[in-house]
Amino acid sequence: MGKKKQKLVLPPELPPEVPEEEVEVSDEDVQFVKENLEYAGFVSNLDTHSITKHVTRVADANEEALESLYEKRLRKKLENKEKEQNALEVDPVDALPVKTLDGQLYYRRVTKEPKAEEESKEGESISKDPGLVKLTKAEKRAKHKKLRKEAKKQAKEEVQQTPQAEVLDEVKKDLTAEEASESKKYKLAELGTALLADPESNIKHIKEMLEISKDGDAAIVILGLKSLLAVFKDIIPGYRIRLPTEKEQEMKVSKAVKKMRFYESTLLSAYKAYVQKLVALQQQPVYKRVAVRCLCTLLAAVPHFNFRESLLAAVVKNISSDDDVVRKLCCETVMSLFSNEGKHGGEATVEAVKMIAELVKAHNCQLHPDSVEVLLSLSFDEDLGKPENPDADSRTKNKKSKKRKGLDEPNHIPDNERKKIRKEMISKTREEVSADFKAASYAQDPQERRRVQSETLSAVFQTFFRILKHAMQPGLGANTAPGASGSHPLLAPCLNGIGKFSHLIDLDFMADLMRCLRKLAGSGIQSVDLSENSSCQLTVSERLRCCIVAFKVMKNNLDALNIDLQEFLVQFYNLILEYHPGRDQGEVLAEAFKIMLCDDRQHDMQRAAAFIKRLATFSLCFGSAESMAALVSVKHLLQKNVKCRNLLENDAGGGSVAGAIAKYQPYATDPNRSGALASVLWELNLLMKHYHPAVCSIASSISTMNTSNNQVYHSHVSPLQAYMELSQENKSFTAPGDIKRASNKRKRGNDTLPVKIGSDLNLMDQVDENEVRKKLAEHFLLLRDIQENEKLRSELDRTTLALNLYEHYKKQKKRKTR
Amino acid sequence: MDEVADASDSDGYLTEDSGCPDAGESETGKTLEDEIASSTYSAQNEKIHADLAIQKKKLDRLKKKDPEFSKFLESFNNSAETFKNEDEYSDEGDSSDQEQGDNDLNKDKGKLLTNSVINTWCQMVKEDHSQSALISLLNAYRSACHYGTESIGHTIENSETFCNILLFTLSNANDIFRGLLKMSSLKSTKETLQELKKAATWNSLKPLVKSFVRSTLFLLNQVTNTDILTFAMTRLRACLIFFLAFPSLMQRFIKATVHLWATGERPLSSASYLVTWDIAAMFSSNYLDTCLSKVLVAFVSRSGVTEIVDIKHMQFLRDCIVELCSIDVQKSSIKAVASISQLAKLYSWGVQTKKKEAVRKICSWEYVNCVDLWVRFISANISDYDLQSLFFMTIQLINGLAYMFPGPRYFPLRLKCIGWLNYLAHSGRSFIPLASLVLDILEYNIGKEGRKAQNAINIASVLKLPKQYIKSKSFQDECFHSAIEQLALHFAQWSHHICFPDLATIPLIRLRKIHEITTIESLRRMVKRLIDQVEQNVDFVQKKRDEVSFSPHDHQSVDSFLQLEKSSLNAPFTQYYRSVLEKAAERNLHKCGKISLPKQRNLKRNRTEPRKEPVAAEVDHPMVENGVADAKRKKRVTKVQ
Repeated sequence: MGKKKQKLVLPPELPPEVPEEEVEVSDEDVQFVKENLEYAGFVSNLDTHSITKHVTRVADANEEALESLYEKRLRKKLENKEKEQNALEVDPVDALPVKTLDGQLYYRRVTKEPKAEEESKEGESISKDPGLVKLTKAEKRAKHKKLRKEAKKQAKEEVQQTPQAEVLDEVKKDLTAEEASESKKYKLAELGTALLADPESNIKHIKEMLEISKDGDAAIVILGLKSLLAVFKDIIPGYRIRLPTEKEQEMKVSKAVKKMRFYESTLLSAYKAYVQKLVALQQQPVYKRVAVRCLCTLLAAVPHFNFRESLLAAVVKNISSDDDVVRKLCCETVMSLFSNEGKHGGEATVEAVKMIAELVKAHNCQLHPDSVEVLLSLSFDEDLGKPENPDADSRTKNKKSKKRKGLDEPNHIPDNERKKIRKEMISKTREEVSADFKAASYAQDPQERRRVQSETLSAVFQTFFRILKHAMQPGLGANTAPGASGSHPLLAPCLNGIGKFSHLIDLDFMADLMRCLRKLAGSGIQSVDLSENSSCQLTVSERLRCCIVAFKVMKNNLDALNIDLQEFLVQFYNLILEYHPGRDQGEVLAEAFKIMLCDDRQHDMQRAAAFIKRLATFSLCFGSAESMAALVSVKHLLQKNVKCRNLLENDAGGGSVAGAIAKYQPYATDPNRSGALASVLWELNLLMKHYHPAVCSIASSISTMNTSNNQVYHSHVSPLQAYMELSQENKSFTAPGDIKRASNKRKRGNDTLPVKIGSDLNLMDQVDENEVRKKLAEHFLLLRDIQENEKLRSELDRTTLALNLYEHYKKQKKRKTR
Repeated sequence: MDEVADASDSDGYLTEDSGCPDAGESETGKTLEDEIASSTYSAQNEKIHADLAIQKKKLDRLKKKDPEFSKFLESFNNSAETFKNEDEYSDEGDSSDQEQGDNDLNKDKGKLLTNSVINTWCQMVKEDHSQSALISLLNAYRSACHYGTESIGHTIENSETFCNILLFTLSNANDIFRGLLKMSSLKSTKETLQELKKAATWNSLKPLVKSFVRSTLFLLNQVTNTDILTFAMTRLRACLIFFLAFPSLMQRFIKATVHLWATGERPLSSASYLVTWDIAAMFSSNYLDTCLSKVLVAFVSRSGVTEIVDIKHMQFLRDCIVELCSIDVQKSSIKAVASISQLAKLYSWGVQTKKKEAVRKICSWEYVNCVDLWVRFISANISDYDLQSLFFMTIQLINGLAYMFPGPRYFPLRLKCIGWLNYLAHSGRSFIPLASLVLDILEYNIGKEGRKAQNAINIASVLKLPKQYIKSKSFQDECFHSAIEQLALHFAQWSHHICFPDLATIPLIRLRKIHEITTIESLRRMVKRLIDQVEQNVDFVQKKRDEVSFSPHDHQSVDSFLQLEKSSLNAPFTQYYRSVLEKAAERNLHKCGKISLPKQRNLKRNRTEPRKEPVAAEVDHPMVENGVADAKRKKRVTKVQ
């Protein structure tokens, strides 16, 4: 409706030129006339005055309005705050017909003002539209601006018809563009709703939607992708679509089936196009996040459907993306795939794991830790034994091939056996149907699952071992690492994974694995022994993790292997000293305490004593959380090893239990040679003075453990728990025990506190009175001067002002005389 | 009571009797002043005067030439005048106290105060206890205090008169009032106030006292010269009781005092502090509250202002606060807990979000000074009071702080944290493990081959090291020295504990490694020396403890282990430690010569004996005062220029 009105708008007449000076002069004239009434008649005087005034004001307003119109158009591109101004601009005077100087009446102006407003409003609403950022539009706007500027120039040159029309044209163009996009949006919405309402009959619409999403406008594309995602998520069936073979197509089918077939094929082709588009779009930075989000959602929602492979490939590729959002999305999707295997029967899991293995291989283990971290969320059914897997595999294969045969053969069977065959056929068809059903519903048989699981496992361990091997390669870390600190980004999650799935590791690999771990755990030592550059540097946390993993592996395999873990313990004994809080992860250390010391079933008194002593010493040097973890372990060890409680007693000469080494060697690297049994845990006395009450109390509780009576001490906290508790507390600042309890009781009353600071100086004498006198005098003089200064200044100002006024006065006088 | 009257700002002027000798003949004191007058303003004034003369002449000529112009000018001036007046009123509506009093005072405006008059008054007041003379004197005092801002009251003839009025009144007000009130004790306590209010003459004297108090307050807010203020403050300390009679004025007085304490130079600061202390300690406890909160706010804002810190002054302020807090530990420990938990909240916010803003807030002098303050407070009082929870919270906070900023640029802050921990450990007599914190610093330095030293840097004056210093040798040196000192201090605390050998085990291992890798010879030697000393002590303790027969759970015997040797101060490690401290002090002295920034490292010496030592305020502070520059009050300056 806006357009129609605009067509009717007549070009506005240029306002008559009214130079301001003249107006002023005319005012004076009027005054003059007023004063000298004899020169003019009263009536004429009054008339001209009022008319001129009225007319000039209106004309002024007109001019302003016109200019503001142009200005507005320029400005509205820059800032979207035009509304108030427009509201101000609409002068009530404009609502009335206006008579110009030459006596013409203007009605049109009234319609024009709101028009302009509407335009601007439209412009606003569109430009406010979120996500409407596109290059083409910006260009267009720039063009508009230019054109408008020209239009303005032309208007100044009093060419009136054309600029107006041009401006209108531009606006129209702008409008059509906006409208087009708007209409596209509507269309998308309409099509989408229709599809969701009745997918079978409206399946054609999906192609239209695809078309729309090929639009040049980024916003439209994004909207299109998103609405398509919603549609697909909703209408994709719970089974995999198999397009009919040619033979099948030739067969006569009912209308319903035909319709169904058509529906399925359309859906499939559209889906294919959509997925391809997504895969293509994720390369472009503009669409990357949207495309990845769509891919992830699809993969999580319909992992059973066709084209899963391409979805998976795209998602896994992004699993170690630099973009945090993208990476997180992909990881979550993959993890959801792992945890919801019911949706796809484990197929997707195998594929994903294989792809991750490929990725790790391709990137030479230089990926984001998240990409391996996801493997930790895998779950394996331990009831399915591994050894049977090959059988199961072959069996299923046989079955499948049989089925295939059954499917192809029935036509070539001679007639005389028809009945039999028919029977067979019936039974076969039944089998077939049930097989199909099984395939469709993914109610798997155990063999299938076993096969899938073993494949997954092998891929997982392939990845893990690859990472371990990579970490072991000397010199590699220094060469290829992107950052010095994170030269083995994947090692930590990999070790965690090995620890978690250690019970599934094939025993054949075990020895190899242990060798690897041993080497890795000792890598730091090597670097000290040899020159720095020869070996890869692992951090203390990583080495600790290796030790932990070794213990875990052994424990999980029920110590089936007779591998001595002694070496790991020695490593650990020395690693404790290299721990730096802040740099290394305390959690790992606490976990190591738990796994290697508390859970260890082997009892070696000498070694236990060595660890007890070392941990006690350790807790003297580090923060409260670490101390706590260490002390908890000490307590555990003391509970398990009764004889070690000799450490708590000061038996002269090390007592009866002292081993071969009669004196404690604190700097020994081998726990068995430290002679710790000969030492006394004096540390506890200092720890009882620890500022942290928890450490204090555990130290005193340890010190009161008794050698003689073998009572059972219960302690329910593990070192890890203790560590976490204290470090958490350190972060959240919950003081142990409420503050009110420790209200400040006065231990010793002293009512009169002497003033210490400055009391010993007698300030009375310090400040010399004469000095003060002088200062005061200066102060007084200064104040007086300032006062004087102020007075003089104001006087001066007044005088200068008067002088300046004289100029003014002269001018006025001249004017009067003129 | 009369609190309502106190609150109103209307009056400070007292109606005078005609009984005392009035205006004497004005001896021309001009000559005297001309000699002194040498301020920048007088020169300027002269110039302006000359300009003015020229302009005036011009104007006169014009006026003569065109009589109509003068008429025009007059009409213009009238209109301008009214406008201006309105302006001024709206401007000064709130700034001046004496607006209402103006009108009735104007009648007295003409009275000229000469030296002789003042002297007579003083004489009369002092010898005859003449109340009427006192009134006149107080009026004169009032106009002297207000001199320069508003021309109210009397006109003061010359500077000598001005000095006489102020000096006499300030010095003798206390005696005079007490004499008139016939108060017995010279002490000012809460009871004295009651006595004062009961005194028979109180009602008649009250307006006089109030006028004095009010004028003094005005003076304190106006004058900026340190000497004058110090003088006033020392004198006012005696007559605090009179301030106390007017609670609302008291509040303002406290505010002014605290401001002077925080911003003033050392003597002034000390004087103001003494006044604050008196207020807080002697009078009712609600003043303690006000004082404490005002002082804390001033302290924090002060530490925000002085980015390149005047460390000495901040330390002085801190010690003042600690002493103030110690007046009522109960009360102030509540404040301390609140403050520490606020700091802790900020810290955990910073840890969780890792925002730049949070980090900036934490690594600021406000934050650090606050922590410092409470550390001092705790260590000053922990032996006498049960401050365990506060103690614990503070340590947790400091530990967190130390680990929050691992980078070498934050070593200064870290060293501060370590220093605090050591300090707390000493005063709290508890064990705080900090060896690994120190060793981290020592280990970091290794291998960092520094460039040639640019400027020497004082790490006590920064929290975060400027980037260009990071590889400088001086910084490395400084860090190394400080770290060794702190480690030595830590060891010294437990050098006679039975488990010293075990305490030293891990640090020794790491120190040896450091010694191996360090390339700079001087630092190497230092580490070596520490290692040797520690080893020696280890052997010593080891030998001693091999001889004992008690077990770890026999706490009493453990505690008495080697106590005798410890008190003898001749143990090798104690001696070593003392030498380290001496060296540190020497080094700092040396550095102070090189660097302009003031530095107080002798503070560390205090740490050896955690028993507090009175922090002597240096009075012999050079008073480099430029009275002229000082007296330029901002308001004035903006007005004038």
